[in-house]
Amino acid sequence: MARKSRKQHLVAGELNLTAMIDVAFQLLSFFIITIHPVDVYTNMNVFRPSQESTTVQEGPPPNMIRIMIYKDAYTINENPIEFKSLDKIMTKLSEHDKGQTILIMCRKESKHRQLIDVLDMCAKLKLTNLSVVSSN
Amino acid sequence: MRAPKEEDYLSGNLTAMIDVVFQLIIFFVCTISMQDQSKNTGIDLPMAPHGPVETKELREIIIDVNKNSSISMARTPLSYTELLGILKHAVAEAQAHGAQVPIIIRGDANARHEGIKAVMDACATAGIYKIKFAALKEKAG
Repeated sequence: MARKSRKQHLVAGELNLTAMIDVAFQLLSFFIITIHPVDVYTNMNVFRPSQESTTVQEGPPPNMIRIMIYKDAYTINENPIEFKSLDKIMTKLSEHDKGQTILIMCRKESKHRQLIDVLDMCAKLKLTNLSVVSSN
Repeated sequence: MRAPKEEDYLSGNLTAMIDVVFQLIIFFVCTISMQDQSKNTGIDLPMAPHGPVETKELREIIIDVNKNSSISMARTPLSYTELLGILKHAVAEAQAHGAQVPIIIRGDANARHEGIKAVMDACATAGIYKIKFAALKEKAG
């Protein structure tokens, strides 16, 4: 019994943890003060059709929704529309087929924010078959 | 000469280990801040709260387009020809390993589409047809 208590005394006595705990607290304080929330990024996948693979297709047009982005304006299948209405129409269309092709055509004077808004709307509706082309 | 006592073995000198731990902490703190700075290129990314959370891919190429439609990579301004050369080189290297080149375009929210178009045209010319657009899912603070 006496032998065991002597061993315990040695272990506790030699390892002085005071300094290490001090340092750990210093580090903890440092990280609490310096930490700041970070932005969460997203990456949205699109397909860029090749310019050379433009072929004339015979027969009826494919099941495709064409969204044109002008500067501060949009059209869907050549019909002018507000962005809020576009969201509603796309919600209805996406209920029938999530796999349909969405062809997004951007005019060169349109803002990049508008393209991201449309891509975000498609992401919300789980539409994944997205192609982006540029238009003069 | 006395025989080593039990306490000689029990007393471990932690000084060197703590030194190394401090060095590692300083290294990580510095490199993390540098990584943050590489993303802070003065580009105001548009918001896309419904987009999927970004996934890191090997050998991804990040191309920045600022609000003046200027193209840059890793804070280095590039012309269309230089960008095309880089992309063609990356595609040739990736094809040798049977891999694809992941492209991420970080466009400023107020950039005109013609700047993005130039990057997409360069990608298509180099044989890259799958592109990702970066956006902000959640803004800090």
